[in-house]
Amino acid sequence: MSEFLLDARNISIAFGGLKACQNLTLQIPAGGLYGLIGPNGAGKTTAFNLLTGVYTPQSGSIHLDGRPITGLPPHQIAKAGLSRTFQNIRLFGELSVLDNIMLGCHLRGRHALVRTLLRTPAFVAQEAAMRTRAMDLLGMFNLAHLADEQARSLPYGDQRRLEICRALATEPKVLLLDEPAAGMNPSEKKSLAQSIRFIRDCFKLAVLLIEHDMGLVMDICEKITVLDHGCPIAFDVPAKIQCDPRVCEAYLGEPAADQPAPAGGGPAA
Amino acid sequence: MKNLAQNIADVPRSVAFRPATILVPWLACLAVALGVHHYLPMIVDEYWVNVFRRMGVFVMAAVSLNVVNGFAGQFSMGHAGFMAIGAYVAAGFSYYGSLYFRGEANVDDFMIQGTLLMLVGIVAGAFAAAGAGYLVGLPSLRLRGDYLAIVTLGFGEIIRVTLELTGKQVYDAKAFQDAPLSTLATLPFNGSTGFERVLPYANLFWVWLFVGVVCVVAYRIKNSSAGRAFLSIREDEIAARSMGIDLTKYKVRAFVLAAFLGGVAGAIYAHTGVNPSPTDAGFQRSFDIIIFVVLGGLGSLSGTAIAATLLTGLSEVLRGPESIVNSPAGVWSLAGIALALAVGSALLKAVGNRGWRVLAVASVAPVLLVCFAYLAQWLATAWGVKLSDYRMILYALLLILVMLLRPNGLLGVREVWELFGPEKPARRPGAVGPGKEPAP
Ligand SMILES: Nc1ncnc2c1ncn2[C@@H]1O[C@H](COP(=O)(O)OP(=O)(O)O)[C@@H](O)[C@H]1O
Ligand SMILES: [Mg+2]
Repeated sequence: MSEFLLDARNISIAFGGLKACQNLTLQIPAGGLYGLIGPNGAGKTTAFNLLTGVYTPQSGSIHLDGRPITGLPPHQIAKAGLSRTFQNIRLFGELSVLDNIMLGCHLRGRHALVRTLLRTPAFVAQEAAMRTRAMDLLGMFNLAHLADEQARSLPYGDQRRLEICRALATEPKVLLLDEPAAGMNPSEKKSLAQSIRFIRDCFKLAVLLIEHDMGLVMDICEKITVLDHGCPIAFDVPAKIQCDPRVCEAYLGEPAADQPAPAGGGPAA
Repeated sequence: MKNLAQNIADVPRSVAFRPATILVPWLACLAVALGVHHYLPMIVDEYWVNVFRRMGVFVMAAVSLNVVNGFAGQFSMGHAGFMAIGAYVAAGFSYYGSLYFRGEANVDDFMIQGTLLMLVGIVAGAFAAAGAGYLVGLPSLRLRGDYLAIVTLGFGEIIRVTLELTGKQVYDAKAFQDAPLSTLATLPFNGSTGFERVLPYANLFWVWLFVGVVCVVAYRIKNSSAGRAFLSIREDEIAARSMGIDLTKYKVRAFVLAAFLGGVAGAIYAHTGVNPSPTDAGFQRSFDIIIFVVLGGLGSLSGTAIAATLLTGLSEVLRGPESIVNSPAGVWSLAGIALALAVGSALLKAVGNRGWRVLAVASVAPVLLVCFAYLAQWLATAWGVKLSDYRMILYALLLILVMLLRPNGLLGVREVWELFGPEKPARRPGAVGPGKEPAP
């Protein structure tokens, strides 16, 4: 019906009197790499939470690949093909790196109790396949040598990449990245930009990126939505966004490109 | 990049179908049960045989509680309630079954059929407990942490009070055979006195066979996609949800599985020569089991099994610590164990296996035990102080000490065999992530 893979129209939510997200429209075509920016507290993470079903939109509709997903619980939205990372890293810290990824594979598998307890050939084959797939993914992100480490013992940058890897394991159609470069150093950011493009091409999915690092966003995003106080104030290609007066005003009158990323990607949500 | 379905199709059949993987654990259970049944009575006396039966029950109880408290991280404080349901249903089957079919319950030559009745009772008790687990699991979906603990605590107390209100037990076979169904409808479980004359069909063999079965089942759950789903819920519900884990389904599953296995434990318990009574459903018993789980390590099956075994054994030893040194066999066997562990530790160190530390620590324990026994003997003869009078205090002190030394329990989430293996290279320093944060 619509030419967009992810089609969210006029979604809104208010927490009490605080209108965290108002009439936000996000439409991403297949293979698109779009950005979502805005000052701290603008409602970017809230938008992700609305899309992924953590919050139910109070108005508006969301379609994924033509299928309505408005109001579905998060696990069904994940199954429908929407996967995300978190601004405050949410790995399964006690589990191994490998188990984190295998858990991402979970929703494409079958897990009846009988086969689990009897270790049927179907069960063994599925476990083996999950392991292969997880190791392939880890290899792609240069994390394979850490497979047996506890997830929380990884360095910060690796944890961020592991989260992306875990999200990819769910075989998503659309990937939502919430400040993936937060806390990374410039060289890590550079390779992250490359991996995001690579992921989009290799996995043939659409990416929506929240990021404070303007250099990164302007570099890789095809189109950018700007949020301020929960309202979308601009939607355009990066070059136009950079000289949009409303955007500059939202960022306290400074040129957007000079806007510094918050120190260490502190937990702003 | 292939998707999971394609990856599954790629797995060769020789990898997928391995009869050994499927069967060996069950055969091992059988072998262990037969071994314990046959050899243990040669080493220890009647009293300790009974201790080992009780120990088996506690291992099952602790391992089953670990499924919900340890794997899924849902703190249940009413596990004794599930066990009591299993116990009463199974005891009902074997007692009233023999009354109905045999016309009496107190017979010796009834063993085979009695055992059959017990096995049917175990299955029925487990399913009854699982049903209760489902009912408790549902409301607890909306509850977290302390609130969930209080609800499950309340559940255990409800079971206890309900059992106290059950009708008088029927001893007269004729009366029961005349109207079995209407009698059973009065729940003739003897109220607060406790269910009497349940025959001790669960000998060492049956107890330890079921210990094995419960452990294999729990281990297979832990090491499967379902087990990872449980653990992910424990680690971070929000992330688990976003990764496609149906929280409702898996939380209820954890409760049902734990209750089912707890029901098995209770059913066996009822047949170990005790009178199952309402206090068995009380919070005191639930706490005993929680202690095993927390001390062994939330999520560690071998840890909880070891904790349950050691603590049950220790609380017996504390009843008369002097008896160890009074019998030379006791000292020598403990010394032998310590020596074997120390030698094993030295060997492992020589071959570069990191497991040597575990064995080294373990080898100190029997030595400490003997020293403690000598201390108790000396106190008794020189001062007339009987340490066994203070055993509850000593037990409590021991628990505090372990929690101070090992805040995550003996093994954390690991299994004991994970502590062995080639020496790992030192971890890179400074690799610390941010702490957990509240909901988005
Ligand atoms: N669950 C919630 N309850 C109340 N207020 C919330 C909640 N989640 C977010 N907010 C508020 O909504 C606003 C937008 O937050 P957020 O989406 O995290 O901003 P950001 O754009 O920095 O990611 C903030 O003012 C935040 O305090
Ligand atoms: Mg945010």
